[in-house]
Amino acid sequence: MIEVKNVTKKYGSTIAVNDISFDVKDGEVVGFLGPNGAGKSTTMNMITGFIEPTKGQIIINGNDISKKPRKAKKQIGYMPENVPLYYELTAKEFISYMAELKLVKRSERKKEVEKVIEEAGLQNVKNKLIRNLSRGYKQRVSLAGALVGNPDVIILDEPTVGLDPKQITEIRSLIKELGKKHTVILSTHILSEVSQICERVIIINKGQIIAVDTPENLEKATKEKNGISVIVEDPKGNMNKIKDRIKEIDEVQFVKDNEDGTKQYVITTSSDVDLRKKLFEVLPKEEIVIFELKKTETTLEDAFIKLIDTTKIEDNVDKKKASKDKAKKEDKAESKSKDKKQKNSKKEEKK
Amino acid sequence: MWTIFKKELKTYFLSPIGYISIGIFMIIYSIFFYLTTIASGSVDMGNLYYATARYGLLLMVPLLTMRMFSEERKNGTEQLLLTSPRSVTSIVLGKFFAAVVVILITLILSLIYSVIVSFFGNVNIPTVLATILGFLLVAMAAISIGMLASSITENQIISAIITIVVFVAPWFLVDMSSIFSSIDLIDKFMKFPYGLISVSDVVSLISITVMCVLITIVLIKRRKAVK
Repeated sequence: MIEVKNVTKKYGSTIAVNDISFDVKDGEVVGFLGPNGAGKSTTMNMITGFIEPTKGQIIINGNDISKKPRKAKKQIGYMPENVPLYYELTAKEFISYMAELKLVKRSERKKEVEKVIEEAGLQNVKNKLIRNLSRGYKQRVSLAGALVGNPDVIILDEPTVGLDPKQITEIRSLIKELGKKHTVILSTHILSEVSQICERVIIINKGQIIAVDTPENLEKATKEKNGISVIVEDPKGNMNKIKDRIKEIDEVQFVKDNEDGTKQYVITTSSDVDLRKKLFEVLPKEEIVIFELKKTETTLEDAFIKLIDTTKIEDNVDKKKASKDKAKKEDKAESKSKDKKQKNSKKEEKK
Repeated sequence: MWTIFKKELKTYFLSPIGYISIGIFMIIYSIFFYLTTIASGSVDMGNLYYATARYGLLLMVPLLTMRMFSEERKNGTEQLLLTSPRSVTSIVLGKFFAAVVVILITLILSLIYSVIVSFFGNVNIPTVLATILGFLLVAMAAISIGMLASSITENQIISAIITIVVFVAPWFLVDMSSIFSSIDLIDKFMKFPYGLISVSDVVSLISITVMCVLITIVLIKRRKAVK
């Protein structure tokens, strides 16, 4: 189990990670999600003990990473961002070096290295120099380096960046497989990845955690309106009247003109009524031909963007407040100084 | 430490750096062998080692040390090392001794010349041993300085230049004031080729080495907090 308690990381005056806390249970696959520069890598680097937090505590299976680094680090397999590797070594040499670094016993080393090579699918390239491997294989070598020694916790920083779609699906299924035996934390900014692999998502933005939940719940939580997307042919322009014909409709929103003369609309309603049936009845009466009609689904993508936008709005509100306060203070100060000046001038006049 | 030592030593000879640095050393050594022994018809090898220490180490040490930490930092492989359960001390010492062993290999190679010379005259073995010991101590101090330079920058060239400047600066500074002769590393090697093992030289060379190694360890540990 990983416990992150009130961790803050500052670089000079900039705060990269601001007082975050979360737990990861044994055997859980947790996704770390956030836009670029949100503090994902910083957090992962702190969990793995590569950098030290300015404040706070990180505990890996009961071992504080700063106080008992040897015990804590032994339980972690880390695949850093940008897959750093020793290019002058072969894949197998690299993996056995990693095994040695991770204190795998000499008697078990050979077996362990072979096992990991098998798991990562490196059989065909194990004796090639890493320098000559393709990006996908480099990624696998790095992953194998993280897996070797059978650590309890596996931390993967953007494991699928730069891979082609086939490699991505392969790596994903490998990670899913890993999740059965290990605790996995992975960071990504690809949302479909999270909803496919992870049991829980931690969304982080500007160094702060803005949501922790399952992907499904996040989707649900941010879904507020029932939406239906329709593509219609509407030669007489009767779409505007629809709102009057069906009372439940909140809004008919025009989305775009398609090339074939059809138009796309989104019809929203706040109630739990399913509008589809009514639309099928009403639209033909208005001489509108339905080409397509479906419920809009909020994806994790929407949830993500929404969550991040709300934090932005809050920020703006805060800033506005701050600037207003400032302005007020300045006003006061000005008026005070004016008062003083007036008094002074009066005094002078008296003189 | 052993793990890192083995890998580092292997890396020296997987890349051309190990061969190039040994090659450069042997070329310089051979040139001085000609100049100081063959051309002058002497069997005294003291001058040979002194000159090689001055010019050979100047080129060889930066080659060996410039990539030590700079390359790891630039490629990000430093992350692999520092997130492994190995301590910073064992990483630094592993790298340090790997470079020392490369120098040791060249020193052993250089002994062939002593064997050749011994056919033409009497080679004083204790003197040769004292010379080798002194050379090794100087080389260790030089490596520790190079390693320290490598740990403060991620640019290998800058790290090499810093190392060379530290070695060369005393040559010119001596002209300004004789005080600077005491910071010349090779100056501390002067007595060894005569078979004189001066305690003050040994102590100062070892303390330079220990100090630079310790500073490297502290710097790398500190970077964790600052980074």
